[in-house]
Amino acid sequence: MTIYDGADAPYWNGLTEGRLVLPQCACGDWLWPAVSQCGTCGSENIQWLEQAMRGTIFSWTRTWHRFGFTENIDLPFISIVATVEGCGIRLLGRLDDPDQIDPVIGENIYGKIGATRVGERDIPTIIWRRG
Amino acid sequence: MHPLYGTTAVAGIGMCQYKRGSSPLPEQGVLAKAIRIACAEAGLDTADIDGFVSYGDDKNEPVRLMPTLGIKELKWSSSIWGGGGGGIAGAFGLAASAILSGQASAVIVFRALVEGASGRLSAAVMAHHLNDHMLAAGLVAPAQICAIRANRMYEHHAVPKQAAEELVRASYFHGARNPEAVAYDRSLDLDAMRNSRWIAEPFRLFDCSRENDGAAAFLMVSAERARDLNKQPVYLLGCANGAEKGWGDLLENDDEQLYPTTGFRPIARRLYAETGLSPADIDVVQLYENFSAQGVASLIDHGFCTYENVAEVVKFENLIAPTGKLPVNTGGGNFAQGFIHGIGTAYEAVKQLRGESANPVPDAKLCLLAGGPGAPTVSSAIFGREIP
Repeated sequence: MTIYDGADAPYWNGLTEGRLVLPQCACGDWLWPAVSQCGTCGSENIQWLEQAMRGTIFSWTRTWHRFGFTENIDLPFISIVATVEGCGIRLLGRLDDPDQIDPVIGENIYGKIGATRVGERDIPTIIWRRG
Repeated sequence: MHPLYGTTAVAGIGMCQYKRGSSPLPEQGVLAKAIRIACAEAGLDTADIDGFVSYGDDKNEPVRLMPTLGIKELKWSSSIWGGGGGGIAGAFGLAASAILSGQASAVIVFRALVEGASGRLSAAVMAHHLNDHMLAAGLVAPAQICAIRANRMYEHHAVPKQAAEELVRASYFHGARNPEAVAYDRSLDLDAMRNSRWIAEPFRLFDCSRENDGAAAFLMVSAERARDLNKQPVYLLGCANGAEKGWGDLLENDDEQLYPTTGFRPIARRLYAETGLSPADIDVVQLYENFSAQGVASLIDHGFCTYENVAEVVKFENLIAPTGKLPVNTGGGNFAQGFIHGIGTAYEAVKQLRGESANPVPDAKLCLLAGGPGAPTVSSAIFGREIP
């Protein structure tokens, strides 16, 4: 198991426990990529708040080429940038694509926590679906 | 006037390029050869080189080149941060900084890449950025990251995909006429290009640059000293490097307006302000195109066109020498000249201004060199045949 020790450790630990948590500073700013201190107000008072796994598609690509590190993902697969509802943070994730229908920017999506196997590791991953 | 304006110059260039995986020499050997060619052109003894600058995590630490080049004393060795090609133009600015501040006097700007020594470039670039967020999403290659940005530019900002094809065609047109290009003497089959295999949508194979082995070197000296050397000087007129707030290595959380750009807006602003030049003054552009869409976005960022008129400007007829109004990648660019992490674009900039290009632009006096688009840190430079 990977021990997460970066500023985004709560995110990974949250996914492992089945929750999406994202960091908000006391000043109200959402901080992503995660940092230890807010660049706007200087506060270190950062709360990790649970968020619903709902959002919209910000952009996407469907990968057909077998790049190294993707060996355990069936081709083709769609990677997306998802805007999380409420906080506006964008997360990288994958979109379930059983019928190979092109995503549309702004489309509503919801997520479930799955995993992506890379080498010998399973990385917790939000798998998004349309709807 | 800005201190960089016309105060340093490229006095010699050398490039050795081979098909990927087929370099006859190890990486350091190819690099040393390119440096010797650059110095021989200028008539400068390699023993008198006293500085080096590179970019893109080049693995050849300059101190290790001293024995093979017979260098007497190394006074400056540095590199532009960043794993991509964003730093290529900035490397010339960094070399100029060393020369103008008196810390070195004969500086080599270089990039070398031989697969056996440095591995695949795309893997090296990603090793610089990869984290679990990207691995979990299956986003592991520059092509995929640039593809996601391109889809947003095409879909949300309504840039026509045709513009990317026009740019690719122009590169291959020039490459087919350049004996130093990988695409020399080969015509581009449009059907083959349009139906080439998908890599990551919207990119097919022909939307992607493909790596070569090789190295290129540029000898930079003060403008005054360049005039005493053998070759016609090509002056550095300006250079800008960096990133603005809301842009960078942000896990795709860049400012929404900046997201579909390639990061060059602040670079172009500074470059034009510090040189007193504008896009209308530029005779020819050498454009780092890692991927077709990013090449188009770079032209938009540099003020050659807008989201609204890109289809009218980025047209094949307009992009080719000698007749086009905006000749781009006259050596063939990364697509068709060859791709040693983009250093060939700088090589063509110098060739073009010396009147040595295989696709000469009539009376070309000013050339813009745009670095690797979409990298977290990007840079651009303007070179001149004379100091306007």
